[in-house]
Amino acid sequence: MKNFLFLLTVVFTLTLSAQDTVKVAALTDPNLQAEQDYNNGLAALNKKEYAVAVDFFTKCVTVKTTFDKAFSNRAIAYVQLKNSEAAIADINTALKLNPINADNYFNKALIYYAFNKKDSTTSSLDQCLKIKADHQEANYYKGLILFEDADYKEAILYYSKAIDANPNYVFAINDRAAAKREMKDYAGAIADYNKAVSIDDKQFFIYNNLGSTYRLNKEFPKAIEAYSKALQIKPDYLLALNNRGAANFDNNNLKAASADFESVLSKDPKNSGAYNNLASIALKNKDYKKAKDLSTKAIDLDAKNGAAFYNRGIAKQMLREEEGCCTDWKKALELGVTGAKLFINSTCN
Amino acid sequence: MQLKMKKLITLFLIAIIPSFIISQEVTWDKDNFPGKKEEFKNARKQLDIGTEFYSQGRGEFDDFKKAYLSTNKMMPMSHHDYRMSGITNFRDALAPLNTAYAFNPKDGRLNYMLGFIWWVSDPANPQTLKHLEAANQLHPNVENDLNYWLAWTYHLNSKWDEAITKYKEHLTFLSQKAKSNALEIEDVNKKIDECNNGKKLSATPERVFVDNLGPNINTSFPEYGPAITADEETIMYTARRDNTTGGKKDEGDNKYFEDVYVSTKLNGKWQPAKLLSKNVNTESHDAVAGLSPDGSKLYIYRDLSSDNGDLYETVLFGADWEPPVHMNKNINTKKYHENTVSLSFDSRQLYFVSNKESGLGGSDIYVCELDPKGEWGVSKNIGPDINTKYSEDGVFMHPDGVTMYFSSKGHNTMGGYDIFKSTLVNGKWGKPENLGYPINGPDDDVFFVVSGSGNRGYFASAKTGGYGDQDIYKITFLGPEKQPLLNTQDQLLALAANPVSNLKTENAVEIKAAKVTILKGVITDAKTNQPLEASIELVDNDKNQVIATFKSNSSSGKYLVTLPSGKNYGIAVKRDGYLFHSENFNLPDNADFQEYNKDVALKKIEVGSTIVLKNIFFDFDKATIRPESANELERLIKLLNENPTIKIELGSHTDSKGSDDYNMKLSDSRSKSVVDYLIGKGIAAARLTAKGYGETKPIDTNETDAGRQNNRRTEFKITEK
Repeated sequence: MKNFLFLLTVVFTLTLSAQDTVKVAALTDPNLQAEQDYNNGLAALNKKEYAVAVDFFTKCVTVKTTFDKAFSNRAIAYVQLKNSEAAIADINTALKLNPINADNYFNKALIYYAFNKKDSTTSSLDQCLKIKADHQEANYYKGLILFEDADYKEAILYYSKAIDANPNYVFAINDRAAAKREMKDYAGAIADYNKAVSIDDKQFFIYNNLGSTYRLNKEFPKAIEAYSKALQIKPDYLLALNNRGAANFDNNNLKAASADFESVLSKDPKNSGAYNNLASIALKNKDYKKAKDLSTKAIDLDAKNGAAFYNRGIAKQMLREEEGCCTDWKKALELGVTGAKLFINSTCN
Repeated sequence: MQLKMKKLITLFLIAIIPSFIISQEVTWDKDNFPGKKEEFKNARKQLDIGTEFYSQGRGEFDDFKKAYLSTNKMMPMSHHDYRMSGITNFRDALAPLNTAYAFNPKDGRLNYMLGFIWWVSDPANPQTLKHLEAANQLHPNVENDLNYWLAWTYHLNSKWDEAITKYKEHLTFLSQKAKSNALEIEDVNKKIDECNNGKKLSATPERVFVDNLGPNINTSFPEYGPAITADEETIMYTARRDNTTGGKKDEGDNKYFEDVYVSTKLNGKWQPAKLLSKNVNTESHDAVAGLSPDGSKLYIYRDLSSDNGDLYETVLFGADWEPPVHMNKNINTKKYHENTVSLSFDSRQLYFVSNKESGLGGSDIYVCELDPKGEWGVSKNIGPDINTKYSEDGVFMHPDGVTMYFSSKGHNTMGGYDIFKSTLVNGKWGKPENLGYPINGPDDDVFFVVSGSGNRGYFASAKTGGYGDQDIYKITFLGPEKQPLLNTQDQLLALAANPVSNLKTENAVEIKAAKVTILKGVITDAKTNQPLEASIELVDNDKNQVIATFKSNSSSGKYLVTLPSGKNYGIAVKRDGYLFHSENFNLPDNADFQEYNKDVALKKIEVGSTIVLKNIFFDFDKATIRPESANELERLIKLLNENPTIKIELGSHTDSKGSDDYNMKLSDSRSKSVVDYLIGKGIAAARLTAKGYGETKPIDTNETDAGRQNNRRTEFKITEK
C-alpha cells in the first residue's frame, strides 16, 4: 500500500514534469508522423493509459531516434508499468541526448525514488541542482529524502530553498513544518502550518498536522479546533476524527473523546486504533475489565498494535494478572513501544 | 414580606430544634426517668461500680503519664506508648458502664469515661469516637482534656481537619492555664504538624497493592516483625500462637509468648510456616529482630529481666539454627533496651536500635563495624540526619548498600511511627523521605522490610480483612499512575501521503528499585555432586579489597550474596582439601535488579586436577601482572603453603588473535611472570613449572569476544602430590 501511494505521488509529480507537446503541421512526413505519435503518447500518459503511451513513444523514437523528450516521457510510462530497467534506460538515453536538461535529471531522480533507490535519487537530484540550483521540485525532493533519513536540520535548508523559489509551495511549507516538528520546534512548525493553510485553506491534511503539533505543544483546545477544521473540509477524514478524540482525551474531556472514537468506529468498525483509544478512556476511568476487553479487541484487529498491548498490560496489572501484564508489555516493547521497558523493569522480576 | 419572615423563622426553628434536643444532657436525676424507678436504681448502681474501676484505672494511667514525662522529657507520642496502662481496671469498668449507658446514653461524663476506656484499649474502634463525640456534644467541659483525646481520636481516624480544630481548642486551654506545661504545649503543636503532614501526604496516595500473605503465614493469632532474604525466598517472623514453645501465655497481656516462625517459597507460593527449633525458641519471648540478606544469620530479641531487652545472634548450620549467642557489649547494654538489627549487604556493618542515654532522644539507630578479629566494634549513633529527639525504630538496610528504611516519630510523620527512607550519598545520609500514605498512616507504622528488587515490601498490620489480630502483608509498589498510550496518526509529508504513527510514550515511571545484583548458587564436590560447606571470599576488584567472607550452608551448599551493581567483583570459593575456585564478575549498573545463579563444583587436590585462575590479570599484550591480581595470587600461595608436597604447572593461554609465534611467546612470558611472582613470595622454584600454550588449547570459540576472553587464561595443574 505504501509503495502504491508512493507511486501515485511520483506519477503526479512526473506528469507535471512530462515534456511539452510538439506542434504538428501535417502527417505526410515520417518525422511529422513521429511527432504525432509523441503527442498521442503524451495524451495516453495523461489518461493513465501507460501501455498505449509506451507504444506511441516507441513508434516516435523509432523514427526520431534523438528525440530526448519522447525517451523521457516513455520512461515515465515505464515507471507506472513498474519496469524500472526500461525506465532508467530511457531516462539515461534522454540525458545522453540532452545532458544539460535539469528536468531530465529530476525525472531520473524520481524514477529512482519510485523504485526506492535513495542514493541514486540523491545523486540525480544533485546533478539537477548543479544545473539549476533553484529547481523548486528538486530542492523539495532533496528535503524529502533528508527528512526520511531523519536529517531534519538539512531537510529544512532544502525545503527553504524550494520555498524561496516558490513562496506559495504549500507542500514544501507543510514538509518544512514536519521537519521542525521532529526537531521539537513546535512554534516554528505551527507558524509554517498556519502559513500553508493561509495560502491554501482546502488542504485538510495540513489542518490535521497543525492539530497534532498543537497537541504536542499541549495546546489542546487549539488542536481540537484545527482537527475540526480538517473535518469541515473532509468530513470522512477518520484520521483527524481519531486525532481529535486524542486531543479531547488530553484535554480531559473524556466524553467528547469517547464520542470521537465511537464515531470513528461507526464509520470503520475494524479500526484497531479507535478500540485501543477507547481502552485508554476505560483505563482513565479505572474500569480495567473494560480496558482489557477493548484493548484485546484492538489486538484482534491488529496484532501489531503495540499501544494496545501496552494498555492491556496496564489493565492486567490492575486486575492482578501479573504474568499476563508482563507478557503484554514485553510484546509492546517488541513492537517498538519503548516505554514498556520501564514497566518491565519495575514489575516483571 | 410578613410571609417571608414567618418562613425564615420556621426554617430557623427547624434548624436549631433537633440539635438542641440531641445535645441536651440527661442527668442522673430520678425525675428524668419517670416510671423507671427500679431500672434507674440498678443503672445508677452499675454507674457507681464502673466509675470506681474507671477512677482506679485512670489513676494508674495518669501516674504512668507522669512517670513517662519525667523519664522521657516529652509526652507519649503514640497511643502504644501508654502500653494500655490501667487496662485491667478499665476492662472491669466497661461492663457496668455499658449497662448504665444502655439506660442513660445522654450522660456526658459517662460517655467521656467510655470513650476514654476505648481509647486506651483500641482507639481506632468506632466506639471510641462515638462516645467521645457524644461527650463533647452533651457536656463539652466535662473534663479539661476531652478536646485532647477527641482530637487524637480524629487524628487516628485520619480526620485531619476535625483533629486540628480540637487540638487548637486544647492548645487555647493549655495556654490559658495558670501553670501551663511547655511539654504538653509542644506535644499538641507537634500533633497539629502531624495532622498537616497527614493531610498533605494522604492527598497524593502512593499507588500500591497490599496483599495478605495468606493462611500459610497468617492465623487468628498475632503475626508481626517480618524479615526476608534478599531474593524473597525465605521469610522469618514473630508469632504468638497456641503452639508456642512451652505453651504458656504472658500474664501482662494474656497472649502466648512470642516465637520465631519460618516459611520458604515453592513455585512462588509460601509454604506452611514452621516453628524454629528449641535452639532458638524458648518458653519465653523470642522475637525476630533481623535477618542477614542471605538468610544465614538471624537476630533474636529476648527480654530477660536481667538485661532489659537484648539482641542475640544465631547462625544457620546445615538445616538447623545454632543456639543464639548474646551479642557483645558494644551492642547490648544492661540498663537499656536494644531491638531491631540489620546487616549491610557485605555484613561488615551492623545497624541496630537502642534507647541508651547517649542518643538524641528516645530510641536511636546505631551502627558498628566488624573489627579485624571478626567482632562488632564500638557502636556509633548514626547522627541527626536520621535520629531525632523522638524515637526511631525498625531499621532495615537494603541490600543495595545505600538505602536505609527506618521508622521514626520525628521528621514529617503523620502520627506515631512512620516509615522513612534515606539514601547514603558521599558518606552522608540524605533527608529522610516519608514513604507516604497508605504505607504510613496516623498510627504506628514500624518494621518494614524491602525485597532486593525494591519492588515489594513486607510489614505487619492489624487491619480489617485479615486472619485475626496482626497479620503479615506484602506491599507491591506500583509507582506513579501509568498513563495509557493512544493510537494517533498524521500525514506528515504532503507528497508521500504516508501515515506516520505517533506512538507517544507517556511520562516515565519512577522506579523505586535500587541497583542490586543477587549472586546465589550451590557449592558441590565436582566428583560426587554432594553439597559442600565452603568459604566464599568476595573481592572488590577495583579497590583490590576483600569486602566480605561468608560460608555456604553445610547441608544444602547454598549461598547468596547481594552486591551493589556497577562494579567489578571477584569471588573465590575455598575449602580445605580442595582447589579453590575463582570467578570474576563485571556487574553493569544498567539493570535495576538482576539475579545471577553461579553454582560451583570444587575439585579435590589430586594429581591432574586443573583450575583456571580467573582473577589473574595482565597488562594488554604484555606479561606484566596487574595489581588487582594480588588476591588471587595470595590464595594460590596460601594453597601451596598449606599443601607443601604438591607441585604445580602454571600454564598460560591466549586467544587466536595474533600470530601463533607471538601468542606462544606471550603465553610463555606470562606463565613465567606468575612463576617468578610465586618464587618471589618464597615458593620453592622446584615446585613450579611455567608453560606457555599460546592458542593451542582453546576452551571456547575464538569467534566471539566472550569466547576469546575465556580462552585468554592462566591455569594451574597439580603435577605431583
